[in-house]
Amino acid sequence: MIALAATGITKTYGGFTALSDVSLSVEHGEIRALIGPNGAGKSTLIDALSGRNPCLGRVELMGADISRLTPGKRRRLGLSRSFQKTSIFPRMTVRAQIELAARAVDGSDGMDVLDEFDLRPLADRLAGDIGYGDQRRLDLALAMTGQPHTLLLDEPAAGLSFEESKRLAAHLRDIAARRGVTVVIVEHDMDVVFAIADTITVLQLGQVLAEGRPDDIRANPDVVRAYLGSAA
Amino acid sequence: MLIQCLNGLVYGALLFSLASGLALMFGLRRIVNFSHGALYMLGAYLGYSIATKLGFWPALVLSALALAGLGALLDAAVFRPLQDRDPLIILLVTFGLALIAEDVVQTIWGNDTHSLAMPALLAGIVELPGSSFPVYRIAIIAFGLLVAGGLSLWLKFSRVGLFVRAASFNPTLAAIQGVDTDRVSLMVVAVGAALAGASGVVAAPILSLAPSMAADILVDSFIVVVVGGLGSLTGAFITALILGQINVLGIVFAPEFTALLPFVIMVGVLIWKPTGLAGNRV
Amino acid sequence: MKNSLSWLGFAALGAVGPLAAHFIPAGMTLSLLAQATFAAIFALGIGFLIRQNGTISFGHAAFFGLPGYAVAALLPLKLMPLEVLFAAALVGTVALAFAIGLVVVRVHGIAFGMLTLAIGQGLYEAATRWRAVTGGHDGMTLRLPREVFGLPVKLLQQPHGMFVAAWIVMTLCLVAVWLFARSPWGRLTEAIRDNEERVRFLGYRTLLPRAAVFAASALLVAIAGMLSVLYNAFISPDAIHWTASGSGLIMAILGGSAVAWGPLLGGFVYFFLKHAAGAYTTHWLSIIGVALILVAVAFPNGLAGLMIRQRSRP
Repeated sequence: MIALAATGITKTYGGFTALSDVSLSVEHGEIRALIGPNGAGKSTLIDALSGRNPCLGRVELMGADISRLTPGKRRRLGLSRSFQKTSIFPRMTVRAQIELAARAVDGSDGMDVLDEFDLRPLADRLAGDIGYGDQRRLDLALAMTGQPHTLLLDEPAAGLSFEESKRLAAHLRDIAARRGVTVVIVEHDMDVVFAIADTITVLQLGQVLAEGRPDDIRANPDVVRAYLGSAA
Repeated sequence: MLIQCLNGLVYGALLFSLASGLALMFGLRRIVNFSHGALYMLGAYLGYSIATKLGFWPALVLSALALAGLGALLDAAVFRPLQDRDPLIILLVTFGLALIAEDVVQTIWGNDTHSLAMPALLAGIVELPGSSFPVYRIAIIAFGLLVAGGLSLWLKFSRVGLFVRAASFNPTLAAIQGVDTDRVSLMVVAVGAALAGASGVVAAPILSLAPSMAADILVDSFIVVVVGGLGSLTGAFITALILGQINVLGIVFAPEFTALLPFVIMVGVLIWKPTGLAGNRV
Repeated sequence: MKNSLSWLGFAALGAVGPLAAHFIPAGMTLSLLAQATFAAIFALGIGFLIRQNGTISFGHAAFFGLPGYAVAALLPLKLMPLEVLFAAALVGTVALAFAIGLVVVRVHGIAFGMLTLAIGQGLYEAATRWRAVTGGHDGMTLRLPREVFGLPVKLLQQPHGMFVAAWIVMTLCLVAVWLFARSPWGRLTEAIRDNEERVRFLGYRTLLPRAAVFAASALLVAIAGMLSVLYNAFISPDAIHWTASGSGLIMAILGGSAVAWGPLLGGFVYFFLKHAAGAYTTHWLSIIGVALILVAVAFPNGLAGLMIRQRSRP
């Protein structure tokens, strides 16, 4: 079953074309990684899927057209996202903002998420006062509150330590496999990408350069030349 | 009718020469100068005092120069030290300065209204079909056009102008291009203040001088800057002309509600296009 | 524990005013105190907007004057009892503020300040020019009936009676603001203030809560305006002028808007500073200007911020 489908996504800023007729189809419970050089349009695609910016094209969630819905409506339908730059509420306690996130979606208090992300010991601290790695986890926890079935993650491992990245990868694997959450992830850390992705889509200059299983992508000469280089 | 349109142009020209400084400062530093009306008022009062001794033309030049100095001081003592703080702090500080300026004017020149005699050279009247129109008012329109022309040439062809245009697109990007930001900002604020002062002197013969003159025109020039698109000179120019017409035509047709019309228009424009008519362009 | 302490504090605050009024000889001081209480409620509304929405309004005096004008203009028509008229004027002002809020809260920071200034001045101009209804610059005098809300109007027009009434209203307003800040709505609007985009992506609509806060702050300001018009039986365009908005803003910032009671403190301090300065010098504009600059630059959290910092020092 297709969880998230995008067809003909096109986005231009002034004269610059950030995305040109990009299509994407993600299976239920799949982890899809978007990779590519800077400026390839990865974040723009996440923005288009989540409704951050207006763009041309059609986005479907579980078969329903959501192209014209606000970010908030998409979220209430189960499509959630995190942000490249940590986007939390520094002057609120960790607990208060998880409660806020939970109240928007269902009536719960969201305390299960606190435990899932190891945030309970920090629950009564102000989010601005906790460490960077903890803030990144809080950012993810805000996105995961209320059990969304589809998750868009924009560089969740950025700035994390090796250990933290490994834990994040295992966690994402777990929620996809056990709960059937569909994940679309933009990530520069290739260790994370190749560890968790079921399918990889490579973007270059606003277009899809290649798409396939991790092993095929690793072996694709075009991808190696354009992005992965000899390192991979 | 023709006369009314011309009067509208007169007010529009004054409004533009004042608002252009506000727009430039916003484009460059992302700040709003609440004391801009006070600069205009100080220019007018200084001009009044100088004119009683030396006549109109020296008053215009000296007053503009004095205000340029005051503008440079404003930039060096207020805008630059506070540039990394919340922009609302500059808003409050310039608001405080406007209060002080009003007190200064009341103390030196009193609460009575004054008026400045127009220069003999421009004291005549032009015969138009069906009526006549003072030469001086035509000179004000010319002054507004001169300011508009001069500023656009300056922005287009000088190095400073290039920088100002770049900064209004993206302030951080412009700062790393190796330009002396502080010097550019000093110049822009000084020019903006000089224009405000000159507008005050130019307006003095047709609008009387009173300590409340700062607030009245400040509000109109804010509307010009907001509706025109914050930081945009072209947008400010067009909006100033439209506002000038509305002001005069409204007085003829519906005096009670004229005052509200600019605000209604502003609200309409902001619903339709929250960045103002000209968006972010200079 | 902390909760019951706060309630105790509110009860004490509510009692202090009426008690103090007994020991102050009626006359100038009590009259000033009554007027200062209006100013404090006015500042409370402006501070509420700063705290919940993070925006600075330069036009809130319009909501102070508007209900007064509405009552003054409609009173002679004898359409309804005064109490209903008061309520209607408040409701009308809040409805207007909500409609204005739906437009102005879309812009942020500086542009918001300029917009509210322009709207306030627009209403001021209308009040000065629409002479047939507003009396122009001269303002309007109200002919109030003998009784209002079951109290003799005479009582409310004496310094003692009005001060006690205004003080109780002020305490109730403070409690309302405090309760709001602790409610889910208060949390939500503070979250929107700090990171509106994330709140939208969490599934909330952000326009309505912001407009609602704008309307609620207008309600507080309108209550202050109502008390003032009841006491003075007079309203003039001076009440709406942008310098009145500016004074309210200065009070809120002087007191500090980070805690609910900060603007109240600022209101009283500003009001008495102005009167003390007015007795010795004609330069109170400069004094206020300098005070504003000092507070804005050196103590952005105001007097309340200073006091809290002192207390929390080891």
